[in-house]
Amino acid sequence: MQKAFFQVSTWFFVLSQTWGTLGYPLECKDEQGSSNRCISIPLDKLFDRVIQHVELISRVSEECCSLFEEMLVPFPLQPKTSRGVNICITKAIPVPGSKSEIQQISDKWLLHSVLMLVQTWIEPLTYLQETLNRYDDVPDALLNKTKWVSDKLPSLEQGIVLLIKKMLQEGFLMTELQQTLTHFNKQPEVLESTLRDYTLFNCFKKDAHKIETILKLLKCRRNHKLSCLLY
Amino acid sequence: MATQWIFLWLISSIGCLAADEVITIKDADKLLDVINFTTNIPSSQKLPHFTTCRSPEQETFSCWWSVGDYTNLTGPGMLRVFYKRSFKNTGGEWNECPDYRVGIENECYFNTTYTSIWVPYNLELRSENKDVLYDERSFNVEDIVIPDPPVNLNWTLLNTSQTGLHYDILLRWEAPPTADVAKGWITLIYEVQYRAVNDTEWKVMEHEKESYLSIYGLKTNTIYEIRIRCLQLNFDKFSRFSDIVYVYNFVPVTKESTFPVAFVLIFIVVGVAIVLMLIIFTRQHRLMMLLLPPVPIPKIKGIDPELLKKGKLDELNSILSNQQTYKTEFTNDDLWVEFIELDIDDPDEKLGHSDTHRLLSLEHLKSGKSLSMKDDDSGRASCYEPEIPEMDSLPFNVNLMEGNPEKACVLNSEGTVPNPDLSSPNATQAKAEPEKAKIESSGSEENMPVRPYPLIQTQMSNQSWANMDFYAQVSDITPAGGVLLSPGQQCKSEKTPEKEKPAEAKKYQFAMTSDSAYTSEIDAKKLSAIPATNENDQNPEKDLSKENCISTENQSEESPYTANETTVITMPPVSDYTSVHMVDSQHSLLLNPTAVQTKDMSMQVGYLTPDQMSSIMP
Repeated sequence: MQKAFFQVSTWFFVLSQTWGTLGYPLECKDEQGSSNRCISIPLDKLFDRVIQHVELISRVSEECCSLFEEMLVPFPLQPKTSRGVNICITKAIPVPGSKSEIQQISDKWLLHSVLMLVQTWIEPLTYLQETLNRYDDVPDALLNKTKWVSDKLPSLEQGIVLLIKKMLQEGFLMTELQQTLTHFNKQPEVLESTLRDYTLFNCFKKDAHKIETILKLLKCRRNHKLSCLLY
Repeated sequence: MATQWIFLWLISSIGCLAADEVITIKDADKLLDVINFTTNIPSSQKLPHFTTCRSPEQETFSCWWSVGDYTNLTGPGMLRVFYKRSFKNTGGEWNECPDYRVGIENECYFNTTYTSIWVPYNLELRSENKDVLYDERSFNVEDIVIPDPPVNLNWTLLNTSQTGLHYDILLRWEAPPTADVAKGWITLIYEVQYRAVNDTEWKVMEHEKESYLSIYGLKTNTIYEIRIRCLQLNFDKFSRFSDIVYVYNFVPVTKESTFPVAFVLIFIVVGVAIVLMLIIFTRQHRLMMLLLPPVPIPKIKGIDPELLKKGKLDELNSILSNQQTYKTEFTNDDLWVEFIELDIDDPDEKLGHSDTHRLLSLEHLKSGKSLSMKDDDSGRASCYEPEIPEMDSLPFNVNLMEGNPEKACVLNSEGTVPNPDLSSPNATQAKAEPEKAKIESSGSEENMPVRPYPLIQTQMSNQSWANMDFYAQVSDITPAGGVLLSPGQQCKSEKTPEKEKPAEAKKYQFAMTSDSAYTSEIDAKKLSAIPATNENDQNPEKDLSKENCISTENQSEESPYTANETTVITMPPVSDYTSVHMVDSQHSLLLNPTAVQTKDMSMQVGYLTPDQMSSIMP
């Protein structure tokens, strides 16, 4: 019990710290209607926009992966050496891998998971952007794409926060999820840097696909409640 | 050691049995097991292996394997598939294939409960007793998604071109029924390919996210075949191709429809051309003005363009002068200025061999050529004999150029004589007027050969610059710097106009009697006599000038080398070379005789040396 309490408290602390550093997006006071400092977007359009954003990020991440693999062709890196062990940094954020399971999860949980995923990747991508410069013969396309993605993540985060506010009509509340954010720096250093970078690229590609799928499911659920909930 | 013996025994037993007996499967199996387990000799036979693993809709997946050359393993249960899903950090546990599907091929099927995406899977193909590992695979399910092909292709005709040669269609299809695109679980993009039936290559359209596509520019009366395939967004594995749909549009070709159009166009063009021709040739002025308006030409207000044509400059001048925007006088003087040409080392100008040459250069005379031109003047372009050699030695010429060549013998240059009193050219002209009258009157009596001095008359009578004589013989220089042009007359022009007239009239009389620019000695004496009688009381300056006039004539008549000393001394301080000092306000030349003494001059015989000049000049 004490342990659980301790865990929860540390988690609250960590989460608050993380969220405290976020730049909250513009506050459109739609509810009062008096001080509208920005134009409010209808939910459908917001969803479409966010999904478009994520699709683009997903595509670019896939291209980054293939570019990185091409770059390492001289080095017979065996991506399978991980042997199926899930070593992605976001493994702590549990998202079920089947449609049926996901459909059983609430909007709130899904949205917050997505938000955490996005937030978790901001720092590693910045790291990747810097570490790529250490490689010889880095193709410019890879550098540019990595930089682009790294720049786009904060705006995606903003979009998801807006989505949360619109869909859930909530500000920033702590979720009841019992999660621990695995900080990036605590990654085991045993991995060789090249392998680590490759793993990072692959994990990010997977997580981008995850975010995209979840959001699309959410959108369907929002628009066509009945048909989407039915199996 | 033991294994080697066993191996040898096995080989020998096989060798013994191979000829006649069939090796039983069991034996072979045992052999294989032994070999695999005991030795590391690579087998040349194909081991059982996974052929492919595929998920059609990201919700289930299957893996197929083949026994390779080990046909004994085809029985159920001979080979087993084990899988492991790795959730979180802990490697999961190994489970056996949930569903062995025995069909044509060996398949292991995982339904939705056993399928998780974003999770790494490990699969192993093992022997029955799990001892032998034949093959293994690891993947994420979303990476092995190969969708089913699209279904229900159909097309509708959008439109046909006016020529009837092309048409557009709208192609529609549906996503594979297995893929749950509606809920957004999987996103598919489609690739449409089409070709004419007899073509070899397929035309590939851009990837399409929607379930419809318009195809433009298909040719009529040609059968097309269209097929579509799809793949998951942001992944790279294509589905199989869909069924082919055939598109055909039959449009009866009516070539007659094209003829009238061409005929009509030709007819219209020809008609318009004929009408235009008629209009132009029948000169319907109004119509022409309407259809082909004239191009405006430049015009100056108030001036008839006809005047701008050749030869009518005078009228133009008069018009313009009336407008006071243009001064003929200026023009005249301007022309005078223009025509002062400094011809250095250019002895080829025949017209420039004016009086100056005669005065200044003595090489002619050296050569023995007589300068008596009185018989030679016959209205030629030059007063001088054409045989007169070029004056190469003359370093400096004041060429009074370009008058009417016939009037090259300038005896009076109107308005250009710089009088010592700086009378205006108008004044001189005014003076010349009465003179002219006198001359004319006197001239009429005598049979004056007009030719040598026609210019005088014309000059007097006509102020037009065109008739001006531009050749002036610089006869002498007055001490004040005035230039005396032409013998005789010029001497007179400087004098007070009152006294000059009669003298001049007489002088001219005499002058006119001769044809040459220079009077003969007799004439010169006469000339000298006349002024001497009349103008003795005149200024010594003028006396000197007269004498200069005469003396120069004398000098010109005689060989300069034989000129007396006295005459030389009394010679006016002629600077044979004078520089045009400036043009004064009345546009008369001011010659600066003092500034011209160059070394070259001293080389000329007959010229005054600088010392002489300085002694003579005041």
